[in-house]
Amino acid sequence: MANLKEIKRKIGSVKNTQKTTNAMKLVSSAKLKRTEELAKRSRVYAAKLTELIEEIAQKMQQSQAEGIDNIYFKDVPNPKKVDIVFITADKGLCGGFNSQTIKRVNQLLSDYKAKDVKVRLRAIGRKGIDYFKFNNVELNDEIIGLSAAPDFSQSAEFISEVAESYVNGETDKIVLVHNGYVNMITQEVKEDHLLPIDTSKLELNAVSTSELEVEPDDDDTLLDALVKRYIEYTMYYSLIDSLAAEHSARMQAMDAATKNAKEMVKELNVKYNKARQEAITTELIEIISGMESMK
Amino acid sequence: MELMKLEIVTPNGVIFDAEVKQVTLPGSEGEFGVLPKHATLVSLLDTGVIVIEKADGSEVAVAINSGYVKVDEGKTTCIVDGAVALSGGDSDLAKALEAAKELLKSAESSNTAIASAVAKVEQIGKSF
Repeated sequence: MANLKEIKRKIGSVKNTQKTTNAMKLVSSAKLKRTEELAKRSRVYAAKLTELIEEIAQKMQQSQAEGIDNIYFKDVPNPKKVDIVFITADKGLCGGFNSQTIKRVNQLLSDYKAKDVKVRLRAIGRKGIDYFKFNNVELNDEIIGLSAAPDFSQSAEFISEVAESYVNGETDKIVLVHNGYVNMITQEVKEDHLLPIDTSKLELNAVSTSELEVEPDDDDTLLDALVKRYIEYTMYYSLIDSLAAEHSARMQAMDAATKNAKEMVKELNVKYNKARQEAITTELIEIISGMESMK
Repeated sequence: MELMKLEIVTPNGVIFDAEVKQVTLPGSEGEFGVLPKHATLVSLLDTGVIVIEKADGSEVAVAINSGYVKVDEGKTTCIVDGAVALSGGDSDLAKALEAAKELLKSAESSNTAIASAVAKVEQIGKSF
């Protein structure tokens, strides 16, 4: 009989877990909708900004024989010092979302180590920080709370500091790693080379018909301001993208957990019924054999 | 009268997208007006007010904190950090004016630019 009681208790506990995971799934799907909307709206801005940078870069490339002479555009074939900025979630229970990003960062770390490149890590999100701290890897920056609630001014402040170290020459390259949103069921780890801006990636199609006037006259002022904004915005957008991916990953994980719990309850029910029948059979046998012995 | 396309984009989405007759922009080197078929131009925008003359002749004002504008022959694109449109009914307008002033005052730019923009917003508020 003790066994029966135990199974019953187990069923109750699994049912409770199922309730929790189901609630988390619903919360995530609601949050995902909101974040997706935010991402959609900011995508327009990002696209326009990139377009503008492309155009100005193209203009500068045409006017200057030796290519673009600007610190943000210089080409570093063999960087000696690299900063990796990576975004993870503050919370777990979202499947492989965080571990995928961490895996990519680890891979980058070993790649750069093989090339004898100094790497500094800047972490956003508690999960990534915890992981690297546990493994005794030094982190240059630790930011908690930003990945759960992206805030433009806060993210701009953070990335400006990083960009400053690039301008100062403390680092040659800035890489941004985050797990981005593709659709409801897929996330993809994305690796952006934030600085220097990769001119080969820009679509420099030489079809500009008229001369582009620039105000203020000096190209660099405008380009500097634009690049600064571009970096800030890419950072912010990555945070939103990462948040959307986090919610979709959690939704999936919780959906799977709910399904598993359901199956488990079913199995436990079968087990419970079997145990009950067994108990009845044993009792019957006992009674019958008792009767037999009385004869 | 000829028309041109005007787009105002903020980090929170597109806030204006229509055919217009004329637009006046607060450039960092001074205010300038853009008519259709303007030469290609890229400029920084300072804290100020964008005044748009719409296709039907009515005027709309948008207060901005900072941004960029790209003009080419048929299309003007403003990429701004923060913007508040000054339009709508009386109660909406009062709210918009407050929001616009708040936005302008929080902008990181010279005091004179902010003061002149705020004055302009107040003037627009009175003219409605």
